[in-house]
This record gives sequence, structure tokens and C-alpha cells, in this order.
Amino acid sequence: MEMSSNRKYQVYKCLATVGKWILFAMVAFVILFPVYWIFISSITAPGELFKTPIDYLPDHPTLDSYKFLIENVGLLAKVGNTVIIIGVTLFVGTIICVMGAYAFARFRSKGVNLAFGFIIATMLIPEVVTARPLYEFMQKVKLFDTYPGLIILYISAIVPFTVLILKNFVGEIPVSLEEAASIDGATFVQRLFLIVLPLMKPAIATVCIINFITCLNNFFTPLYYSNGIQVLSVAIVQLPLRDNMYGVPWDLVSAMGWIILLPIILFVAIFEKQIMDGIMAGGVKA
Amino acid sequence: MIQKKSLQWIAWVLIMPVLVLRGFTTIYPIVKTVLNSFFDIRILSGVNEFAGLSNYINIFKDQKVITTLKFTAIFVVVSMLFHIVFGIGLALILNMKFKGRRFLRTIVLIPWAMPSVVIGMAGKWAFNNDYGLINDFIRRFFPDFQLSWLINTGSARAAVIALDLWKDLPFFAILVLSGIQFISGDIYEAAKVDGADWFQSFFRITLPLIMRNVLTLCIPFTLWRLTSFDLVYSMTSGGPGEDTSLIAYRITMEAFTNLNVGYAAALAVLLFLVMGIFSWVNMRFMSKFEN
Repeated sequence: MEMSSNRKYQVYKCLATVGKWILFAMVAFVILFPVYWIFISSITAPGELFKTPIDYLPDHPTLDSYKFLIENVGLLAKVGNTVIIIGVTLFVGTIICVMGAYAFARFRSKGVNLAFGFIIATMLIPEVVTARPLYEFMQKVKLFDTYPGLIILYISAIVPFTVLILKNFVGEIPVSLEEAASIDGATFVQRLFLIVLPLMKPAIATVCIINFITCLNNFFTPLYYSNGIQVLSVAIVQLPLRDNMYGVPWDLVSAMGWIILLPIILFVAIFEKQIMDGIMAGGVKA
Repeated sequence: MIQKKSLQWIAWVLIMPVLVLRGFTTIYPIVKTVLNSFFDIRILSGVNEFAGLSNYINIFKDQKVITTLKFTAIFVVVSMLFHIVFGIGLALILNMKFKGRRFLRTIVLIPWAMPSVVIGMAGKWAFNNDYGLINDFIRRFFPDFQLSWLINTGSARAAVIALDLWKDLPFFAILVLSGIQFISGDIYEAAKVDGADWFQSFFRITLPLIMRNVLTLCIPFTLWRLTSFDLVYSMTSGGPGEDTSLIAYRITMEAFTNLNVGYAAALAVLLFLVMGIFSWVNMRFMSKFEN
């Protein structure tokens, strides 16, 4: 009796493990296979993309599509634009958001609370509602199609999320630390830089990682507020057709897609924990 | 508190940059959009005159917009139903205790982190009848399968919704998972002792405890679907015809391609009102739910 129920348990446990791995394989396949397909398409010679069934291990891998992107599409300039815009956005955006978050967490008055509520409420405003007037305004003040103009809009897009996360984080730093320093004669600036900022490092890292991804994903802003300054997300929808490919230059799209995907996959793999923390803390846009 | 009243000005200095930036990118454009919606502004024909409510009245006569509104409704409802059912399912998978868990939790972040335009452009090719990934996969089981997904209304709509789910469902699942993790293991232990099987403990314990969390999540996810633009722009351009056009896409086309600015503004105000009403109803519903 005892033996058989024990064996039954063993069989059940074994089945459960098998079931778990089957579910695992299904989810992993659905997510990873399309990404793999984009990758192998990018190293397949354009002509071979018209093969049926699809060859998932290309016979003649080639970097031809990447070469074409660099030589004829100006890939490096677009990577440069993307890096400059995202870099400055993260740097300036983080500074002003830390300032704001600190004030929102430490100073309480009706006006300050109202300002915080306003910033969070603006999260709900869709960019299509503000697009046309903002576009005309940007042209009027000569910020249209300029780096400063784009960077202002990129920063604005990350402000609500960043302020929310950082404010909650500052709120968890005990005020007593600052009070003690204050009694020892530390000025406001000293308290901010020597006590609060060092403690905020992990939260700042988290928002920077997530904002990097958000900025790389930003499509609407660079599409409608610039012409000449092209970033990667816009470039991928405006690639030239090399052969007649039903309107999709899949050879170039897959190569450009992979260039965008590579940093994203690396980021996700390296910073999985920070990204999860950021997502769980709320406010991250899908 | 360490902050004296006299130090309030420091707070405003610190807040000012983010406040001015957000104000500049939201308040003025919204006011201007509302004003524009009462004007007939067509840049191509140089018209700019007061039009009262005619933009709003035209919305309901415009076949393109009616098709758009129809698909927007289908898109939001179908996508959200799948989000809830399969999102909870995927969250349960991510919560399973086994060796592949960490790997799985990492890779589900990939679709969330990918730009929609990359997914949309890849989707355009993936759903191609002859050379696409989807039909290639189906033909390995049904060799004679033929379907030009993006040319037929029904299949094009299904394809757009499928890609939307591919991108966002894992993200939804992660957020549901964070709710599941809050449930104490003791409850399951107690249920097990009382002889509850897996299904009973799921329907009697897990589901009721995460339902509030799931319904709360549905608010932003529905609003994001209502304002979804990138995917349709890059994948179908609203085609065939206007059958996969979403409201945010329609507004943008009117504002930037047809340059029918007043009309676009009226559509934008309508979208904003719908979002506002939806959020309000939801919050009322949630507060009832809690009582």
C-alpha cells in the first residue's frame, strides 16, 4: 500500500515536470523563434529570402544587407543620431527628474502636491491629441527637426514615469539621515549630493535602463517632429526597396531590425532584475 | 520635518524644469486642439474659418471614421479579453517552480522591449502568403495552405491583434505575476491539507485574490490599445481599405497627411473624451468592487 502510493506520487511528479517543460518550450518558441527568424533573414542573401519552405539555416550566410545599410542608407549616421538623442535625454532627463522627485518627496504643500498630481495625470494624454498643435509650435520656435527640439520632447516623454519612481524611492530614504547632517551643519546642497544621491544610485540605474528602452522605442516623436534627423526606429519604416519584395524590403528591414534588437536583447539579459523592479514599481508604458 | 516654510521656494526651483516641460508639451497643445476642433482648417485648400460643431457632426457621416471606430472597438475588446485570459495563464506559467523559470522570466521581457515598428515591419513580411513565417509554419502541417493575411479584412484584423498580443501579453503577465507573488504560500498549504486540488485552489484562492489587480491593470492597457498607433502604421497602414485603421492612426492621417487639421482635432477631442469616460467609469466600478 505504502509503496504504491509513493510510486503514484513519483509518476505524478514526473508528469508535472514534463508538463512544465512542455509549457516552457511553447512559450520560449513563440517568443524566441520570430526573433531568430529576423536574425537569420538578416544574414541571408536577398535572393534566398524568396525560398519556400524557409531555410532556417542559411547555406550562404552573408553580411551583405548590413554592408548595404552602411554604404547606401547611412546607417552609421542614424546610429549616431539615436545615440546622441538618447544619451543627452537620459543625462539631462535624469538630472531634472531627480531634482523634481526630491522636492515632491520632501516638500509638502498644496501647490507642490498639485504639481505632482498634474505631472502624473499627463501620463494619460495620448500624443496624437497634442501632436498637431505641438508640431506647429515647434516649427514656429524653430525647434522642429533640431536635436534640442527632439531631446526636449524625448525628455518630456520620460518625465512622468521617472518622477513617479524616483519620488517613491526618495520617500523611503529616512528623513532622519538628512536631519542629522543638517544638525552637523550640512547645507541643503551638501545633503542632496552627499546623502540622498548616493542612496538613490540603484533607483537611478533602474529608471535609466527602462528609459533607454523607452527612448529606443519612441517612434511618433522622431517621425513627426523631424525630417532630416533620422533615428533607427523611423529609418526602419523608410528603407528603400532593392528588389520587388511586395513592398517590404525584408532583407534590409531584418538587418535594421536586428541592429535595434541586439542592444535590447543584451539589456534585457544583463539587467533583467532592474527591469523587473522598475516594471513592478509601476508606471512603465507598454 | 526638516523643511521650514521659508524653504518652499527651493522646492519650486527644483520642480520647475519638469513642470514647465510637461506643461509646455501638454497644456498649450490640448487647449489648441480643443479650439481647433471648432474650426474648419484645411491647409491644402487654405481654408481657416469658424465651423461650430460641424467637425463633430461630420465624424458620424464619415464612412472611414465609422470603419475605424468599429475596428478600434473590436481591437480593444478582443485584445483585452485575450490579455486577461492568456495573461493570467502565462503568469501562472511564469510562477511555476522549475529550473527554466529565470530564463523564461527574462525572455518574456524581449517583446515588451522591442519597438512596435520593428514588430510591425516584421509582421508585414511574416504574414506574407508566399514567403512569410506564419504560412511557412502552417504549411509544415497543412502543405496546401494559402492565405494572404493582410489582404482580407478578417485575417488582416486577426494578424494585427495577434501581433499586439505578442508584444504586450508577456508584459501584462509579468504585472499579473507580481500580484500572484503577494499571495502567501500558507493559504495554498492550508487548502492542500483540506484536500483541494490544483483547479480548486486556482479558482477559489488565486483568481479571487488577483482579480482586483487584473481589473486595475486593464485600465492602462485599454487606454494604450485606444491610442495604439505604431503597429498599424508600420504593418498595414490601415489596410485593406480602412479595415485595420485605429482611431489614433486615423487622427494622425487627418492631421499630417490630409492636413484636415480642424477635423483631426475634433476626432482627437472625441478620443480624449472616450478615454476620460472609460477611466471614470472604471474607477467608479473599482470602488464599488471594493465594497
